[in-house]
Amino acid sequence: MARFLLFLCFAAMLPGQQLLLKPVDEASYPRLVSGFKGKVLLVDFWATWCVPCRAELPQLAKLQAKLKARGLEVITISADEPETVAAAPKFLKEAGAAMLPAYVKRPKDDDKFIGLLDPKWQGALPALFLYDRTGKKVQAFFGETPIAQIESAINKLL
Amino acid sequence: MTLAPLLSLLLLAAEPDFQVSALNGATVRYADLKGSKVTVIAFVSIKCPISHAYQERMNRFYQRYAGKGVGFVFLDANSNEPAGEIAQFARQANLAYPVYKDYNNRAADLLGAQTTPELFVLDASGAVRYHGAIDDAANEARVKTHGLRDALDALLDGKSPAVVDLKAFGCVLKRVKGTS
Repeated sequence: MARFLLFLCFAAMLPGQQLLLKPVDEASYPRLVSGFKGKVLLVDFWATWCVPCRAELPQLAKLQAKLKARGLEVITISADEPETVAAAPKFLKEAGAAMLPAYVKRPKDDDKFIGLLDPKWQGALPALFLYDRTGKKVQAFFGETPIAQIESAINKLL
Repeated sequence: MTLAPLLSLLLLAAEPDFQVSALNGATVRYADLKGSKVTVIAFVSIKCPISHAYQERMNRFYQRYAGKGVGFVFLDANSNEPAGEIAQFARQANLAYPVYKDYNNRAADLLGAQTTPELFVLDASGAVRYHGAIDDAANEARVKTHGLRDALDALLDGKSPAVVDLKAFGCVLKRVKGTS
């Protein structure tokens, strides 16, 4: 009986780990961004397989800690496929980014989702999108971008 | 499917004319590499895991179509991937196809490539007839849309591909600083 209860405890914990990353699709993304109105929002698209993205995570976490009081919110959206997403929470934790709201991209139509964010975006990583306090996208950063450049763009909106 | 990027490419109309370098340093022109019927220009990376995930598929495409009038131009335009490392990687990974170095991302700029892997499939006149990903899933077991395969089969059959643009997903192409 004790073993069975232990099994149940583990079984209950596993889905909990997966739920750490909430799914976001083409319908919920605009609502997600809209929910941060009044704040400057930086959306970080990353993946466990993307080395530059993983290198950027600790820097973004530090940026959030530094500028939160002035109105910055950073959220992460993993572009991992189902096979690799299970490792995402571990990477976020190791990067010191576990406190950032974490999502996983799960659109019904990936082309539509990517096009919705930015017609110039192909879906390649790293990719960051910066929104002003009204929820309007003001800048996108594709590829490895110096953190000072990102911070400078954020500071103009704070 | 998003048609805008493809339409803008179609407006280029003229056949692309660029030079790349073989991994031994020899200069090679696009005209020397293109196929008699169709040409696949593929931007790849030796560091991007999604590019790695497609290597075996790229090997199979090369082996299946290279003898059917399809030319393959595999280009590494990443500024942080020198020719020596590409040559070493190609040997270790048993790549069936040659990879060329696109110095200063000139071909990438000409075609507007942003991602690795990212493909441009051109017909004999040089018009882009298919653009984007090889298929729609890095995990081959979950592929639903076989974009490249269907496009090549259609073009070799004298037809237009049903899907002409499939979003390329992977890693941002790392350009030389100061270039577009």
